[in-house]
Amino acid sequence: MPESNAPGVAQHVLVDHFFRHEYGRLVATLVRLFRTSQIDIIEDAVQTALAKALSAWARGGVPENPSAWLTSVAKNNVLDSIRRHRTADKGAESELSVRAQDAPEPTDPVLWGEIADDQLRMLFVCCEEGLNEQGRLVLALKLLCGFATHEIAARLFISEDNVHKLLSRGRSHLKQAWSAREEWANTPKPERLSSRLQSVQSVIYLLFNEGYSSLVHDAPIRRELCDEAIRLGQLLLQHPATSTPESWALMALMEMHVARFASRHDGQGGLLMLEEQDRLAWDKAGIHRGLECLLHAAQGENFSRYHAEAAVLAEHCIAPTFQQTRWDEIVSLYEMLEARQPSPIHTLNRAIALAEWKGPQAGLDLLRQAKPPSWLSGYYLWDATHGELLRRQGAFEEAQRYWLRAIESAPTKAERAVFEKKLARCADGDASRG
Amino acid sequence: MTKYLFLYRNPPSPDFQPSPEQMQQMFAQWTAWKEKFKAQVVDVGDGLKHGAKLLKDGKVTDGPLPEAKEIIGGYSVIQTETIEQAIEVARECPIVYMPDSVIEIREMMGF
Repeated sequence: MPESNAPGVAQHVLVDHFFRHEYGRLVATLVRLFRTSQIDIIEDAVQTALAKALSAWARGGVPENPSAWLTSVAKNNVLDSIRRHRTADKGAESELSVRAQDAPEPTDPVLWGEIADDQLRMLFVCCEEGLNEQGRLVLALKLLCGFATHEIAARLFISEDNVHKLLSRGRSHLKQAWSAREEWANTPKPERLSSRLQSVQSVIYLLFNEGYSSLVHDAPIRRELCDEAIRLGQLLLQHPATSTPESWALMALMEMHVARFASRHDGQGGLLMLEEQDRLAWDKAGIHRGLECLLHAAQGENFSRYHAEAAVLAEHCIAPTFQQTRWDEIVSLYEMLEARQPSPIHTLNRAIALAEWKGPQAGLDLLRQAKPPSWLSGYYLWDATHGELLRRQGAFEEAQRYWLRAIESAPTKAERAVFEKKLARCADGDASRG
Repeated sequence: MTKYLFLYRNPPSPDFQPSPEQMQQMFAQWTAWKEKFKAQVVDVGDGLKHGAKLLKDGKVTDGPLPEAKEIIGGYSVIQTETIEQAIEVARECPIVYMPDSVIEIREMMGF
């Protein structure tokens, strides 16, 4: 008889993404027990344990404590393969001597003593100094978030081959002995942590932006990346060593972005601009959480880029209407942001806010002074901003030229649709707002 | 009522390695299948490990045979009135989502 029909067998349900999140949890736990040098064996062991769980649970139902079940299966898988490797390497060894060697090794000299939570530590491990940002991001998506290669490729818009390369580079970094890393041995502990904390924050930020900024048709998978970024951000906030004001500011900005996620879409695959969005549809609880985070972030002297971005969002969130937004505040926040994190994108945003505050000419003047790098003048938002400000000024012909260019280089259908409406309004000689 | 044996056949070394997220979907599909056909699925069965021993003429060799294009990866026992109904149950079995998999439906003699 199938067990599902047997009396007394509790049928436990699995929460969303249980397998994927267990992947991350198991890898982190096993890395503590067996070190990063065994990362290949660990990942295989976790994959095999999950596959075993799938067949066993699909047939017999989920056990009472599925996480404990998986931990013990995955751990035994690692021990088995270490044993097999040893036997293959050195000929048959007595079971007893293998057991003695399999005892967890002493903790690694870095991080291990400093961060107690396995997954948080793993997040720091993924932010290897020797890797670039994309390498770190890919490693975190694989090892902590449990995405497979093809899933990472689809989410970051890079080829599977590329993901493979980044992952194998990342793994080979992880396999190097920690003791051989002089940069760690020679850096005092508190600085080690804080220098890497910045990389950790920026990987979380990057992950979030991948989900938030790329407005691709497939909204659920974008949202998933944002949720993962928030989940990892929460790891930072739960621990005294990593819950710095910057970490709080980062969480504040993620919460406030996500709170408005649903209202960016019109329900028919179209995008809504900030001024068209229904403010009543914003998630008030989320905005409240974001503002609370911003309060925590306000402790201390440091005003980071995350502070500035979160503060801009807070202005939008607390403004009762688009028209009542404190554009002067937003302009000065973008100035602060530019000072900390020079980027022509911030200038572009400042010009948009300035145009709201002092009129389209002020915005256009700022853009004219900005001397954009060559890539920016071909960037669709640069063209769209010009197109919109010129349209509002009634310079329809010039505006149309910009809109046509923006339509050509718009990365998504949804954006193209918005731009085409704007273009039509230029043709109609409509300079009105909205 | 007639009993049918579902034999799940797949290539000896499937290239398909489901991601954790896909595993969760497969789990949900199995759960839904068992629930939908709980009157028909007599024994949801089991998966079978790779490798086998073959006993022939008193001699034992390692299996499966090297020329095997498919191996049996699992089985279930289903009970329906007709073969058509059994085929309907098979059509919705999550095994069909595995690339190159085959469900062999065999009516039991009922000895």
